[in-house]
This record gives sequence, C-alpha cells and structure tokens, in this order.
Amino acid sequence: MSLEIVGLKKSFGTKVVLNKISFGLKKGEILFILGRSGTGKSVLLKNIVGLLKPDDGQIILDEKEISKLSEKEYFPIRKRCGMVFQQPALFDSLTIYENLAFGMRKHFPKLSEQEYRARAEKYLQMVHLENVEEKLPQQLSFGMQKRASLARTIAIEPEYLLYDEPTTGLDPVTTTAINQLIQQLSRQLNVTSVVVSHDMKCALDIADRIIVLSEGAIVAEGTPSQLKTSEVPLVKEFLKEVLEGGSQ
Amino acid sequence: MIKILDDLGSALVFLNDIIKTIFKTPPDSKSVSEQIYNVTTQSLTTTVSSGFFVGAILSVQFNAQLKQFDTLSVLGGLSTSGTIRELGPLLIAFMLSGKVGAYTSAELGTMRVTEQIDAMRCLGTNPMQYLIAPRFVGIIISSFFLLLAGLLMSILGGAILATVVADMNMVEYINSIPTYVKWSSVYSGLFKCFMFSLLIATICTYKGYATTGGSKGVGRSVVATALSTMVGLTLLDWFTSFLVENLFKAWGL
Repeated sequence: MSLEIVGLKKSFGTKVVLNKISFGLKKGEILFILGRSGTGKSVLLKNIVGLLKPDDGQIILDEKEISKLSEKEYFPIRKRCGMVFQQPALFDSLTIYENLAFGMRKHFPKLSEQEYRARAEKYLQMVHLENVEEKLPQQLSFGMQKRASLARTIAIEPEYLLYDEPTTGLDPVTTTAINQLIQQLSRQLNVTSVVVSHDMKCALDIADRIIVLSEGAIVAEGTPSQLKTSEVPLVKEFLKEVLEGGSQ
Repeated sequence: MIKILDDLGSALVFLNDIIKTIFKTPPDSKSVSEQIYNVTTQSLTTTVSSGFFVGAILSVQFNAQLKQFDTLSVLGGLSTSGTIRELGPLLIAFMLSGKVGAYTSAELGTMRVTEQIDAMRCLGTNPMQYLIAPRFVGIIISSFFLLLAGLLMSILGGAILATVVADMNMVEYINSIPTYVKWSSVYSGLFKCFMFSLLIATICTYKGYATTGGSKGVGRSVVATALSTMVGLTLLDWFTSFLVENLFKAWGL
C-alpha cells in the first residue's frame, strides 16, 4: 500500500497554486502538511481524491497513476482515500445516522439496515458521540458536527484519511480532542493519515512527519524533532508562534 | 460579452450532462415526487393568484380599447387569446422563476459552498444523478402544470373582471372565446409553458451547482439566477412566438 505524489502542478488562471510538489506516504504514518492560508494545501488533498485534476504531474496509488481517471473510475479510489472536509459538510436534510449510512450504502450495498445501524453506532462511539443518530446536523454544536463528519468518513473504512484543516474554527479544548482522535484513529484503524493544518503545536505532538508548504512548493520536510532545529524562516516563524502560545 | 457567451456555453454543457445522466440512470420516482411536491406547494398560491390578475389586467385594458369602437362582444376572445399565447405564460413564468429559481439556486449553492456536494462525490455518489436530475425533472413537471393552472386562472380572472368592469354577461364573454382562441393558440401556450419550464429548471440548477465563494457567492448566484431567468424568458418568449407563428403558417394552422 503506497501513495506517491510526483511533480504535481496546479494553477488557477495565472496563479500557480502547486508547483511540482513531490512526496510519498508510508503505511500507517501521520503526515502533517503545514503552511499559511492560500498555499495550496487543500488543493493538494482535492487533487488526491480527484475533486480537482492536476495540470501536470502524477498521483500514484499502489503503482497505478490515478490522476487521469474518470469520475466513475475514481469510485474505488474514494473508498480507499476518505476525506474529512474543512467544514463539517454533513447533509443538512438528513439525520446523523442517515449521513453515516449514505456512504456505507454505496460502498457496502449488501449489508442489512441493522448492520448499517450497528456500524454507525460503532463509528460514532469511536469519535465520542452518543445518542445523536436521530438528530439533524444543525441540532449539534460545530465541534460535534466535525466529529460526526469524521465518523461518516471512517464508516466507509478507508485506508487513507485526508483531513482538511480539521481543527479550524474550534475552541482549544475541542481542538485537542480532535487531534487526539486523529492519532487514536490512525493507530486503532491502522490508516495512513494526511493532515492539512496551520497548527504547528499539534503537528509536533502527533505527526510522524511534517511537510511545510510555501507558495506552492515544499520548503521543509522532516520528523518533528528534525523540524525543531530547522533554519528555514517559515518553519522558525511557526515554531516561534508555538513557543509564544505556550508561554502565554 | 465573452463572459456571457462562456456562461451560456457552460450552461449548455451542464444541460447536456443532465440529459445524459437522466437517460443513463433515471432519477428514482420518490425523489422526483418529493421535488414536485416541494415546488408545487411553494408556488401554487403565487402562480394561481398572479394568473388570475394577469387575465384581469388584460380584460380591463382590452375593455378600455374595445369600448371606443363599440366591439365589446369580442372581449373574451381577444383577452383570452392574448393571455394564452403571450402574456400569461411569460408573466406567470416570471413569478415562478422568482420562487422556484431563487429557492433551488440558493439550496444548491449553499450545498456547494459548505462542501456537501464534494462530500457526496467522496462518498461515492454522483451529485448530478442524486441532486440535480430529480430537481430538474421535478421543476419541469411541476412548473409546466403550475403554468397551466395559472393560465386557467387567468381566463377566469379575465371573465370575472369583464363582468365587473364591462358589465358583460359571463356566458357572452365565454362564447366569444372560440372565435379568437383556436387550437393553435392552445398549442402555442402549451409549447411556451414547456420551454419556460425547461429554461427555469436549467438556469437555477446550473447557477446553484456552479456557485463559488462562500455566502456572498450564494447571494451572487441567486441574483444571477433571477437576472438570467428574466432575460432568458423574455428572449425565449420572442423566439418561441416567432417559431410557433412560422410553423403554424407552414402547417396551415
């Protein structure tokens, strides 16, 4: 099981968002992609799951180039690469249970309704949500919606979990809870995780590896301990923010 | 100008995608029925009341003109013909576009900017099949029947106002209708109703689906839907009138 990005390039009009990005993922690792807003982090994830098409470069999943696949051919890829969006993105006309069952019905069509219920309950418990199955998304807090969204993604049992700024808009306590959840799910489900974030502190705490993006290019890459000694100005700036945040 | 043509081209490609999707994987009847129910319950009152007053307005206007020539006996025929062939479908479609068009565009636009549509794709569902096709078919069917209901009400509105304003006998009014309203007028009205329904369904689903840029983007989409539908309906009204007149001439109707 491997995922490799080779020379990925993406532009919108004249603005180059990703400029020949290359990196690989090891099975079971937690990779953090850090960078300021507008550096193409979310665009990178959307390219991996085929929501956007790269202008150039390759996305190789298990030695197969997937970036040129059609929408239909992407169906099994999206089962393997689950994405958690920046916003909860729950279907607001459906209950939380129906939201979870939505993906399961597509990917596990042979299961019975009871089995869907049992699975939904199991995955909601995993993200520490109980007795919310019959509620509508708008009846939950933003943090609970984010967790329900995570439960919906893991319910299709992906091998890769791609998180797009999972803690944006959350209070510090919920942020810590979500970060612990990312780590816990990664170990418990043995999935490979890619987390796009601004949060250097969290990255230093739970990432196995960190990539720092600036203006569409990778400017630093390494383990948390390697990055702590990095001389790259942007990394130093991120580290300074962590230190200042810690001393406050 | 280039932007308008670009937008028009994208809308036609979108329409082509919807039609392909409908033929490949027809939307299930339950989702279509839900849409028909939603659109009809939302818009029935607006459509029939505006229909009633469109007929009433034409009746009052024709009454003022015909009185001068002492030809009030043709009021029913002229008023109904004008309503069915021209003003009725157009004005009622304007009302309908304001209700159905704005609602659908805002609903789809919100789903787009809150990433629900992307999430749907990631969960293995084609949004064109699940979201767009049922709305498209539902809007066409319900708009067509709403327009028909509006037209019938416009005839009633015209007749009632004729009795009130012109002191005309209702029977006399109705008897004069077949003199001017031939089957060609009815076909013309029906054809326009169908074309207007198709236009409203295409524009509102396209504008909603193509929304970008957060809540401001949703606002922009709703405004663009209203504007494009109004302009589109006016142009389409001219085009269908021209087409129908020439076709009927060619067929000797």
